[in-house]
Amino acid sequence: MRDGAIFAKAGLPSIAIVTEAFVELAAFTAEAVGMPAVPRCVLPHPCSGTGDENLARVAHEAAPGIIDLLEGRTR
Amino acid sequence: MNLRSTRHQASDEATALELFHLREWTDGLPVVIPTEERVEALLAGVELEPDVVIGEIGPGQATVEKVAINAVMAGCRPEHFPVVLAAVRAVGDPEFDIDNMQSTTHGLGPVIIVNGPAREVCGPIASGWGALGPGHRANASIGRALRLCLMNIGGARPGHGDMAALGQPGKFTCCLAEDEEGSPFSPLHTSFGYDADQSAVTLVGVDAPHSVMMQTNDDDPEAHERILRVVAGAIAIPGANNTQIGNGPVIVVLNPVHAGVLASAGLTRDDVIERLVKLAVTPNSTMRGWATKRAFRNDDAHLPALRGPEDIVLIVAGGGGMYSAVFSGGLAGSTHPVHAPIDFDFSCELPGPLVPSP
Repeated sequence: MRDGAIFAKAGLPSIAIVTEAFVELAAFTAEAVGMPAVPRCVLPHPCSGTGDENLARVAHEAAPGIIDLLEGRTR
Repeated sequence: MNLRSTRHQASDEATALELFHLREWTDGLPVVIPTEERVEALLAGVELEPDVVIGEIGPGQATVEKVAINAVMAGCRPEHFPVVLAAVRAVGDPEFDIDNMQSTTHGLGPVIIVNGPAREVCGPIASGWGALGPGHRANASIGRALRLCLMNIGGARPGHGDMAALGQPGKFTCCLAEDEEGSPFSPLHTSFGYDADQSAVTLVGVDAPHSVMMQTNDDDPEAHERILRVVAGAIAIPGANNTQIGNGPVIVVLNPVHAGVLASAGLTRDDVIERLVKLAVTPNSTMRGWATKRAFRNDDAHLPALRGPEDIVLIVAGGGGMYSAVFSGGLAGSTHPVHAPIDFDFSCELPGPLVPSP
């Protein structure tokens, strides 16, 4: 989240990717760094350790939303 | 005294305590209600204005006043307060990376190590028997004050601002002094450039302590080597981040007997640290058996648990005997130990006990 804010402040398009368990923390951190609107993409929790097949599925499902956010479209 | 915090009203202390629990302002245990009089009693012992910012903890600014409120809640006496302020100043050091520590799923907590005259003047802060356990007011209160600051100023609530998957009991409180008088080595803070007669806190973000049992024998000429091997083995335990990832500073607490055996063999603090760095390794083949990614990424026969000497904070404390301890480090938060001076000048008389003596 903090990295996303740093990139955003530097003028670089950025999306913070967080899992469901970290949604509140992400909002809290975004607020703390003064950028509550930093775009973020939420993935299922947990992702790590769920196997290559599942990770590929999660990435496939998340990618269009990330591209939309980067191109300024809200879904 | 001009205090800025919001005042809350309650009919009595018991009702106030329930309000504190309800608002999630506690660590789960009862707190001392921070009345204006109690907060002012702590502030009387320091020469800082209440609105001075000591450091940033996540979204919150740790002003002297806010830190004092949390210190009262934790049970601190005025003489403890300069140590709490120093600890808060230390966690605000960017090197400590407090935001990362607050949000990691690893159960890291800050350990406060106190050196110099403040051990007595601002305490007594225990360094001997049970120094890491219950029964020492200053140790318990100072460590708890920092925790309450991390929660109430830094927003570290379980599952929200504090994402530790399990946490560990040391996150309630963890503060001890170094047994400088019982140590054959120079005091820890002098290795950071302080004079021995200065006072300082050193903070490291670590796991719960792991006991290290080693019965030494005065007739054994290799006793020092055995101690080093057992301590190194405790650093490189299978489940530690240090082993799995090879990162994070650790604390080694040597009891005075173990430290004495090492010093009698001619080893200095730096020698002990250097040897531990070399010995704290895991065979690559063993780690491959655990399917640890790190093992498959290189072909070294042994994988180190530490990056170098800077990853070991070594102190002497505890009752003399056969038990030392190791606190494992973490990948996130406190990637480097930090320190801060303890500023105290109790030339004016401190307020007396807040309750009559029995």
